[in-house]
Amino acid sequence: MTDILSTVFLASLLSGGVISAVPLIYAGLGEAISERSGVLNLGLEGMMVAGAYAGFVATLNSGSIWFGLFVGGIAGLVVSLFMVGLCVYLNADQIVVGIALTLGATGVTALLHSAQYSKSYPRLPKAGVLSIPLLSKIPVVGVGLFSQHASTYLVLVLVAGAMWFFRSTRIGLNIKAAGDQPHALEAAGGNPRRTRTVAVMTAGFLAGVGGAHIALIGAGLFVPGVTNGAGDIGIVLAMLARGKLWWIVAGAGLIGVSLSLTTALQLIGLNIPIDAVQMLPFLLIIVVLFIFGRDSYLPAALCLPYDREAR
Amino acid sequence: MKSVLGRWLAVVAVLTLVAAACGNSGGSTSSSAATSTTATPATTVATATTAATTVTTAASSTTEPVVEKVKKIAIATPEQGNDFGWNQQGIDSAKAAAAALGLQIEVADGLGYDDVRPILRELAGNGADLIIAHASGFNTAAPEIAEEFNVPVAIVDNPGAVKPGLVADYTTSPQGGAYLAGYLAAKMSRDNKLGIVVSGEPPSWNAQSAGFADGARAANSNVKLLYAVIGPAAYSDAAGANRVTSALIAAGADVIFGQGDGASFGMLEAIETNKAADGGKVLFIDVIGNKTSVAKPGYLLSSVLWDFTGAFERMVADIDAGTFGQSNYDLSLADGSIDLLKTDLIPADLWAEIQTLKQKIIDGQIKVEAVTDAGAVRARMSSVNAAKG
Repeated sequence: MTDILSTVFLASLLSGGVISAVPLIYAGLGEAISERSGVLNLGLEGMMVAGAYAGFVATLNSGSIWFGLFVGGIAGLVVSLFMVGLCVYLNADQIVVGIALTLGATGVTALLHSAQYSKSYPRLPKAGVLSIPLLSKIPVVGVGLFSQHASTYLVLVLVAGAMWFFRSTRIGLNIKAAGDQPHALEAAGGNPRRTRTVAVMTAGFLAGVGGAHIALIGAGLFVPGVTNGAGDIGIVLAMLARGKLWWIVAGAGLIGVSLSLTTALQLIGLNIPIDAVQMLPFLLIIVVLFIFGRDSYLPAALCLPYDREAR
Repeated sequence: MKSVLGRWLAVVAVLTLVAAACGNSGGSTSSSAATSTTATPATTVATATTAATTVTTAASSTTEPVVEKVKKIAIATPEQGNDFGWNQQGIDSAKAAAAALGLQIEVADGLGYDDVRPILRELAGNGADLIIAHASGFNTAAPEIAEEFNVPVAIVDNPGAVKPGLVADYTTSPQGGAYLAGYLAAKMSRDNKLGIVVSGEPPSWNAQSAGFADGARAANSNVKLLYAVIGPAAYSDAAGANRVTSALIAAGADVIFGQGDGASFGMLEAIETNKAADGGKVLFIDVIGNKTSVAKPGYLLSSVLWDFTGAFERMVADIDAGTFGQSNYDLSLADGSIDLLKTDLIPADLWAEIQTLKQKIIDGQIKVEAVTDAGAVRARMSSVNAAKG
């Protein structure tokens, strides 16, 4: 079966891995920002699926992938407002609210899809790509890495920007303080609740964009549950990143490559159980957790509601 | 005080959100009278909770099912009945059977794969004389409800759990139809490379994958089969389906046999947006339902169609006759419950050839083995590839 290992096939595998990884980076980055502010955002999957649906509808009606990504982000942000209201201002349990948001958004989008598109299942044209001059001509790697939709490169810029933001801006430092010492932040003149609000809304927007990316560029359509647990993986990636945002990129890339590897191993006819092959991405995560989990950094006030009168 | 009020508001809001989730994971039930019959259900109760109490008592006092003649049937499905696949075919077939027999029907779809016992109890409590638990994922809960309410229940792909009079099994045997699909695919392939993409490996799909391989080899001994599973239970992973199908097309497959439920729309997207190695169109063979109305023209080559209507009608007849569960309610080419979809893309002479093959399978001149074990399917693919690769 080595005859199938053509450059076209390998490039397709690599490209598929990258397309799978990008939404995880958007979601993981959003979760990292939320967690740094002290809010464990288990509603990430719900924000993603809301973004997937809204982005799909927007692109279907406008023809613009960028508009769809933006609307997807707005939808994720809207869902995150529930998280803000319930957890940041009403001090509800972040875990319960997060799970409820995921269930709620999944149910609502399934209902909307059923009402609007279950007879037609519309699909989108293939998303256009931005080919990086010279680099995109490299065999296999060129098509796989340097001939992707521009939102792929945008997310890398966002990660770099977020690193600078946390290191060099006052609001970035405030977000970290809101997650570690919210009372100290308030004593210094900051507003922990407002800071957490900004962080959670940012997470919602990024998760929504990630979800829209899955529907618009990964699948080319929306079906109920299309995000398929990407939000949960994003949470794991943020946990593993230990505050180092580039680790999110590395982890997402690892998962993307693993997914493509599972397809490749099946097609070259290795006589090992497919179940074992398909455990690869998750096995890799567990291995990474074993190796690095002990040093994981979590904000001291993560998952704790902020009560200015409780000292 | 403000904090306590806030927590109460939060609880109320969370409960509201959870209720909203019932659109999918919690499931929904809808009842419709298939005919103008106004017969009172055999078991009439006010609520599901009351029903559980009432009928459990009845069950403990008798060993025979309480149903004498079926007046109402119910079907429960894990996904919504609009997937052009397993769930929709099940619901449509149940409605057709109810209409043909003059029965009431209650549909509970979108139940997911979590604990479905409360919904099944509700269906039993609402007076269903037969509950069709239309997912192998319900095979643990449904027999329990059958015992609890003493109501006949039909489960999927588990003949070992049959209890005559109470629990019946309907195991589809679609390998004959898949054999024809494989034959068709091999004849239509320009590069002699066929792709099989599946979003899981349940027994009936394994039977189809193996049948497809056998049919393809019968048509063309040089054909190569590329087999890929998207992921464990990736039934709604449309993005994964698009990725894997695109990879198979890049590997040279120009006809894709896809089994995926919601994921199959991702396969369709990949087929409609990628070109085959020779620059031509990639063709798609679907399963269970008919996607003609949603596929772009020129891509949907065929589909292995499943129709449960006859099986459900036989179940009702057997309950009425007191022989429920004494035989498997199979689907097969012989009674038309398994068939191959005819489209304009299939040349007339090839369609005639396939009809001849179909008759040979029905007559027993061609034996199509039912391979339901995933390992055996993979070994079959490997042997095909090793022999031809």
